[in-house]
Amino acid sequence: MSKDPFKTRLEIAKKKVSRRNLEDKKRNPSSIGTAFKLSTELVSAVAVGTIIGFILDKTFGTKPWLILIFFFVGVIAGITNVVKSAKNMQK
Amino acid sequence: MAANPMTQFEVYRIGPEIKIGTFDISFTNASLFMAISSLAILIIFNLGSKKNSILPNKIQLLAELSYSFVSKMISDTAGSKAKPYFSFIFSLFMFVLFCNMFGMIPYTFTVTSHIIVTFVLASFIFIGVTVIGFIKHGFGYLKLFVPSGVPVILLPLIVVIEIISYLSRPISLSVRLFANMMAGHTMMKVFGGFVISLGIVGGWLPLSFSVALTGLEILVAFLQAYVFAILTCIYLNDALNLHH
Repeated sequence: MSKDPFKTRLEIAKKKVSRRNLEDKKRNPSSIGTAFKLSTELVSAVAVGTIIGFILDKTFGTKPWLILIFFFVGVIAGITNVVKSAKNMQK
Repeated sequence: MAANPMTQFEVYRIGPEIKIGTFDISFTNASLFMAISSLAILIIFNLGSKKNSILPNKIQLLAELSYSFVSKMISDTAGSKAKPYFSFIFSLFMFVLFCNMFGMIPYTFTVTSHIIVTFVLASFIFIGVTVIGFIKHGFGYLKLFVPSGVPVILLPLIVVIEIISYLSRPISLSVRLFANMMAGHTMMKVFGGFVISLGIVGGWLPLSFSVALTGLEILVAFLQAYVFAILTCIYLNDALNLHH
């Protein structure tokens, strides 16, 4: 007995759907999202570090030192942020 | 006239001045557009869920598509544990999306182009996620700041770095949305000004740029709402499933 024409059509349709799903996964908008994310990640950590340094300087009266230290710590935090999200992107 | 591209971001009072103590809580154009976008969401989703036919009409299709979109996004990024927070993330996504999209209509006001609006949203998310993390894990949530496999000598530095990067979350979340919306709208206004000043002879080039920018801005409006929601999911995932 030859194959039911409906079944063959169903199979073809299923294949098409699965292929389309695969393509959708490749074009996942979250990759663009993470790309947008990277730009601000670096800057915001530097800003937060500097603000913390500024506040600590004001409270302890150690004028230029803590802001300098926390600025560089902020830069490091920003770079680790970017590296982390870049690693997430590759998953 | 439209000489200054920044006048579109001006907040002005509509109606009478209301004051509580020294705080000015009058109804402004920003509050008007927030109310409009919330109302639009309410109306669309009420109409969309009123009659559940098997063959959906356009509004029902819109409501169902956005529901499944957000639901898939949450289960992909934060797992099944984040299901109870669906309503929060859904309303957040819809609010940001509608504010962005209403801003694309000429002569409207873009609420999300003000950093205070996005910062309040982001800090609510930040505080909420931190509270959820502490409720779920107790003081074990502080392990988030101590990555495993770090030598003891480096530990103080690493903890400070982790705390700074944790604190930078609401800032990067709010600045991203605000900067994208403000830069896009300013650019559109500037190119629109070029069309006027160059006149019928040279105005065609900036006009074509304006058309292209409008398309780009609609993409950015959607994408930024999406990024805002997906980052909320990622932060929620960190709080719910504590691992590295």
